[in-house]
Amino acid sequence: MNHVLLIIVVAIVTFIPRLIPALFVGKIEFTPKVEEFLNLIPYTALAALICPGVLTVDTNYWFVGLVGAIVAAGLAWKKVHIGLIVVITVIALICLYMLIPVMHL
Amino acid sequence: MGIGYAVLATQAGLSPLETVSMSVLVYAGAGQIIAATMLAQGASLVAIALTNFVVNLRYFIMNTCIYTQVEESNSALNIASAHLVVDESFAMFTLDKESSIWFYLGLALFAWFSWIAGAIVGVFAYDIIPLIVANSFNISLYALFVAILIPPMKEDKRIFLIVVITGIINIALQYVLGSNWSLVVSTILGAAIGMKIMGYGKKDEECGNKCISGDVVE
Repeated sequence: MNHVLLIIVVAIVTFIPRLIPALFVGKIEFTPKVEEFLNLIPYTALAALICPGVLTVDTNYWFVGLVGAIVAAGLAWKKVHIGLIVVITVIALICLYMLIPVMHL
Repeated sequence: MGIGYAVLATQAGLSPLETVSMSVLVYAGAGQIIAATMLAQGASLVAIALTNFVVNLRYFIMNTCIYTQVEESNSALNIASAHLVVDESFAMFTLDKESSIWFYLGLALFAWFSWIAGAIVGVFAYDIIPLIVANSFNISLYALFVAILIPPMKEDKRIFLIVVITGIINIALQYVLGSNWSLVVSTILGAAIGMKIMGYGKKDEECGNKCISGDVVE
């Protein structure tokens, strides 16, 4: 795929929803239904990204991603800071890889 | 996270210049990570563009809130700053009492530059860090997504249910539509079903989203 084209296209589709309110703010009235729908999009988008994508973190060993997700979920449940969750989860996976020396990387 | 994105984008095959350009031109945390992930998975350009459009639709709501809240609304400044909305700048501005456009520009520009700096560091760090660490970095975006999702799921059972249902729909649709299209379809389908779920058991606050704090100012 042409990477330059990809970047330009993604930049445009990202900029359009940002620009419209800047141009027409005050003239747009959302129905509560539309607003609620859009409020839910981040949750559903993340859910769809995680399930089942997290299992493809390591294409050879599906459980690597599952372990990472469980570690991150456990930490988030305990209200650990987001930045710390990412760091600890990455470290946990490094440890996991070290525990399984048979694993080809 | 800017660093994590850069490592991911490099792994997906983007050159250092392309990786940093994306942070400058696209500037959307989740959107960029999704684009890099989908590129690595071999998704089509149309699928990547559509997914990004859907994922970044929230900026439409966020900017609407921000420009409603800004004191002296100035179209030129609004258009100039339209590119700078991300979850962080939105949350910091709408939750702060200060409502001047200059205050917003200051914090939003700082967040943008930090994101770009992170990408530059990530591009260089990628060559230094060992393979085992780089492989473990693959989990970082999912760790972030999980970390963002868990607190609202814990707080609101309906969000919990919506997330679980959407996950199941996406897993099921993989086999019918393939992973790229099922992502877009299940995101929209999940939100549509979610509206029904949110309707049950009247909520205490109108919506858990920060967006409301923007409307309160009116």
